[in-house]
Amino acid sequence: MRGAKSAKWVAIAGVVALAATACGGNSSSGNDGKAKAVDPSGVFSYQSNEPQHPIQPANVMETGGGRITDALFSGLADYNPKSGKLENLVAQSIEQNGPSDYTIKVKKGWTFHNGEPVTAHSFVDAWNWGADTKNAQQNASWFSDIQGYSDVHPDKGSPKTDKMSGLTTPDDYTIKVKLANPAPYWTYKLGYSAFYPLPKAFYSDPKKYGQEPVGNGPYEFVKWNHNKDFLTKTYAKYAGPKPKNGGIDFKFYTTSEAAYQDAVSNNLDVLDQVAPTDMAKYHQDLGKRAVDAPQNAIQTIAVAEYAPAIKNVKDHAKFIEGLSMAIDRATITKTVLAGSRTPATGFVPPAVDGYKANACGEACSYNPAKAKQLVQEADGANASISILYNADGGHKEWVTAVCANITQNTGVKCDGDAKADFKTALDVRTKKKVQSLYRSGWVQDYPLNANFLKDLYGSTAAGNEGGYSNKDFDKLAAKADKAATLEESVKLYQEAEAALYKDMPAIPLWYYKTNAGYSENVTNVSYDTFGKPVFTDVEVYKK
Amino acid sequence: MSEALTTETALEDKVATEAAPNPSQDRPRSLWSDAWRDLRRNPVFVVSGLLILLLLVIAAVPSLFTSVDPKFADLAHHYLKPPNYSHIGQADWFGYDGQGRSVYSRVLYGARASIIVGVCTTFGVAVLGALVGMFAGYYGGWLDSLLSRLTDVFFGVPLLLGAIVILNAFTHRTVWSVVVAMVLLGWTQIARVMRGSVITVKQQDFVQAARALGAGTGRILFRHILPNAVAPVIVVSTIALGGYIATEATLSYLGIGLPPSAVSWGNDISSGQTVIRTAPHVLFFPSAMLSITVLAFIMLGDAVRDALDPKLR
Repeated sequence: MRGAKSAKWVAIAGVVALAATACGGNSSSGNDGKAKAVDPSGVFSYQSNEPQHPIQPANVMETGGGRITDALFSGLADYNPKSGKLENLVAQSIEQNGPSDYTIKVKKGWTFHNGEPVTAHSFVDAWNWGADTKNAQQNASWFSDIQGYSDVHPDKGSPKTDKMSGLTTPDDYTIKVKLANPAPYWTYKLGYSAFYPLPKAFYSDPKKYGQEPVGNGPYEFVKWNHNKDFLTKTYAKYAGPKPKNGGIDFKFYTTSEAAYQDAVSNNLDVLDQVAPTDMAKYHQDLGKRAVDAPQNAIQTIAVAEYAPAIKNVKDHAKFIEGLSMAIDRATITKTVLAGSRTPATGFVPPAVDGYKANACGEACSYNPAKAKQLVQEADGANASISILYNADGGHKEWVTAVCANITQNTGVKCDGDAKADFKTALDVRTKKKVQSLYRSGWVQDYPLNANFLKDLYGSTAAGNEGGYSNKDFDKLAAKADKAATLEESVKLYQEAEAALYKDMPAIPLWYYKTNAGYSENVTNVSYDTFGKPVFTDVEVYKK
Repeated sequence: MSEALTTETALEDKVATEAAPNPSQDRPRSLWSDAWRDLRRNPVFVVSGLLILLLLVIAAVPSLFTSVDPKFADLAHHYLKPPNYSHIGQADWFGYDGQGRSVYSRVLYGARASIIVGVCTTFGVAVLGALVGMFAGYYGGWLDSLLSRLTDVFFGVPLLLGAIVILNAFTHRTVWSVVVAMVLLGWTQIARVMRGSVITVKQQDFVQAARALGAGTGRILFRHILPNAVAPVIVVSTIALGGYIATEATLSYLGIGLPPSAVSWGNDISSGQTVIRTAPHVLFFPSAMLSITVLAFIMLGDAVRDALDPKLR
C-alpha cells in the first residue's frame, strides 16, 4: 500500500483528493425554488484535467482519470456520499464467513455499455489482471490482502501464475474471496476504482480500450478530445439509480483559476475545487451556489520522535499536549484559512465510520494558560521547535499563525521550516532528518477509522515516519484486525485511538472541506466525502 | 547659499594661505579631498546621506522606533486591519497584516536584512572584482587572458537565474547564502572596470618611478596602483548597491531568498501581493521602504560618481 499512500500525500499537498467512488445511490431531489424547468437529458460540464494514463481502472491514481473512471464504472459497493458508509451497488450481498473469508453475490441484470452482462467473472478476471506484475498497474497493491497476491505480484522476478488463489467463482454470480490475513475492513476497499469490473473486450487490446473505455456505470463514453475534454452520455440501460441528467462533459483545465473564472461567467457548470487565490471571494462571487462540504481528510503536526529537540524535553507527551492547547484552531481556520477548514477534535474526521465526537477532548481545545503550565511542567519552556512543510502547498500562512500562537502562549521558540516542494519535504521525512515537527496531511483511502489510525500510528506502518511506537495501540489495532465483524473492529479502533491521546504522536489541527461551487445552469449539486460531486444527482436547467 | 559658498571658499583660501605661505610648495589636493569637497556641497549627497544614515540606525536598533515585536501576531483583533494614520509610531500606524502583525514594526525590523544584504554584497563584489581586475590588468599576458575569459563566463550568467540555481543548492538559507550567491555572480562588472583602470594607471610615470626606486610588486600594487585605480570601482559599486537590495527582495519574493520566517521586505512584499485587493497597505509599506532605500543608495552612487569622475557627469 506504500504506493497508494504516497499518492495520497501528493494529493493532500496541493490538489484535491483522488476519488474512489462510483456514483449512484441515495439521492434527495432538490429544488432551490426557482421557476426554471429541469431538463433530464441536459449535459453539464465539470472541471477536470487530462488523465495521466489511458482509462484502466487499476491504473488510475490521479484526480483527472479518477473522476472519469468513477463516472464510467460501478463497483460492487459504493460509499454513501453523506455518511461514507458502505452500501451495496452491483453486489446483492457481501457476507463474511470467517475472519478472512467472504462470499459476494453479484446482482443479475447489470450490463456493460456494449451489452455484455456483468458477472462474477467480470470482477475476478479484472482483479487478477490488475494485480499481475506484467501489467504494471499502479493500484496493484490494493489487491495485496487477497490470498495468492504474492504469486501474481512477487517483489522480484516474473509471476508464477496469473490467478490469485484466494479468488474463486462457484457460479457465474458468486465470488468467494479468501484473504491472506484477517482484515475485517477489507470490504471497504471494494468501493475503490481498482475493484471495478472489466468487459471481455478489454483483454484483447487494453491499450485501445483505454482510449475508448467501456464500463458498466451510469455514463458511457462518447468522445475523448485529448487536452480539451472527455464527453459522456447517460447509459440508457443502467441498472442502478437513474441519473437525473443527460451526461457529463469533463472539461480539462490546466489551472484552477481559469476554471473558476469560467464558472463565475457560467461557461463551466460544476467546479471541482476553488483555487487558493480565489478562496477569499468565492462565497461573494457565487452566492448561494458556493459549496462547502466536509471532506474526509485531516491536517496534523506530527512529531519526529527521533529528533534531539524533542528528545531533550523531559516529558514530551505533556509538552506536545501543551503545544496543542496553545493553538487557537477556531480563529486560524476562520481568518488565515478563510473558513476552508473545520477545527479538528480528534484524529478521525466526522464522516468516517468510527468517528467519535470530541475524541481528543481538552488536549485539542484552546487554553493558553493550561498550555503554558503544561509546557513548563514538561520542562520544555526553553525548547526551540520548527514545523517542516512544503512551500508549494499553500501551508506557509497557517504554519506562521500556528507558530505565533505557540511562541506567544508558551514561550517556546517556533519557526516554519520550508522545503521547496512536496517531494523534497517527503524526502526529509522518510530519511528521518526532520528537526522536530512536520506537517502531515492524510486523505482517506476508504471512510473507516482504521485508515486514519493504523496506517499512520502503527509502529510498523509505512505512514508512521515520526518513529512513534505505542505497545497498547499496536495491541489494540492487532486485536481489531482479527475481530470477527466490522462493527467490532471499528469499536476496537476507537479504543486504540483513545490510547493515542495519552502520548500525542501528532497534534490534530483541522479537517478539510471541499470548497467548490456551480454555475447558474445547474442545480442540486452536492459533494461526497472524497470531494467529488455526486454526478448522478446534478440537474440541468432547460435552456 | 551662494553667500555661504563664498565664505567657505574664502575661508579655505585663507587657511591654505596660512598653512603654506609659499604657493609654489603647496601640495595639490588629492583626488579624495577634492571629491569630499564636491560632495559636501551636493544637495543630492546630503539628502541621500541623511536618509541612509537613518536607515542604518533603523537597521542597527529598530527597537528605538517601536516597542512592538515584528513577530507578535494577534489574529483575533487585528486580521488585515487598515492603517490608522493618526497613531504615529504606534503598532497600528501602518495597519496589520494577514497574521495580525504590526506592519509598522515589520517594516522597521525588515530593514536589517535588506541593508546587510546590500552592504555585504557590495563589499564582497568590490573586493573580489577589484582583486581579479587588478591582477588581470597589472600582469597582462596569459593571466589576463585566463581571468578575462573567466569573467566573461560569469558575465554570461544572468544574476537572477544564476542566484536561483545557487540558492536552491542550500538546504538552510540565511542572509549569508543570499550574499554568497550574489557575490559569486556580481563581481564581473567590477573586475572589468578595475582591469581597465589598472592598465591606465600602471603606465603612468609615478609607477615607473616607484619601480625604478626598487619597490616590490606588492608595494607597487597596493600603495601606488590600487589607490589611484579604485575610484571607478567605488562609483560602480555604490550605484549597484541599490540593485542588490532589490534583487534580494526579488529572490525572497520568489521564495528562494531569505527563509520565509525571516522578517524582510522581500518576504512581506511576497505575502502582501496575495491580498492586494482586500488590504493594499500590507503590500504598500514594505514596497515603499524598499523603493526609498534603493533610491537613496542610487542617489548616493550618482553623487559619488559626479565627485570622483566629473567627466562622466
